[in-house]
Amino acid sequence: MKDKLIHKGWFVISVAAVWILTYFVARGVLETADLSSTGRVVVALIPAIPFAAFLWLFITNIGQMDEMEKKIQMEAMAFAFPMAVLLLMVLALMQLAIPLSPDDWSYRHVWPFLPIFYFAGVALAWRKYK
Amino acid sequence: MRSSLRVLRAERGWSQADLAEKLAVSRQTINAIETEKYEPSLTLAFKIAKLFGQRIEEIFEAETERT
Repeated sequence: MKDKLIHKGWFVISVAAVWILTYFVARGVLETADLSSTGRVVVALIPAIPFAAFLWLFITNIGQMDEMEKKIQMEAMAFAFPMAVLLLMVLALMQLAIPLSPDDWSYRHVWPFLPIFYFAGVALAWRKYK
Repeated sequence: MRSSLRVLRAERGWSQADLAEKLAVSRQTINAIETEKYEPSLTLAFKIAKLFGQRIEEIFEAETERT
């Protein structure tokens, strides 16, 4: 059972890698290629497909975890979600306070913080039960 | 929550991985229970008790509440 879960875990990571790769390819295309508006929107939406696959696998994988592993996931989310709220709230207010350069603080710069918060949450929760 | 899980496991010559497999949980979960860092759910506690042929309260002992 454990081997199956580890195998599935690697599959989830592989699909996540495909999603991240697709994101950077789409970003590269949007920054360099000369496309119509429709084409640009289509390219921008393409990474959502591997993300949907990743999300489905991720949720399925959590369903197969044991109770402590599920608790760790819950605690990671309980850390990551308020951190995401805090980041967006501070950025929203900072945007009103000072001119934030879109080259530094656009959505494409901000969203990677959200998985970072999740992984930080997982690390903190793991430490607690290690 | 104190438990005699480590003792019971050792008496049977099982490793943490062996016990984890029998209970369908991870080895880390067994380790966390033995080191009193994680309190198992009632369902898991019942499974543990059944596996060792003992009552839950013979394996697990709640910490005395401070008043």
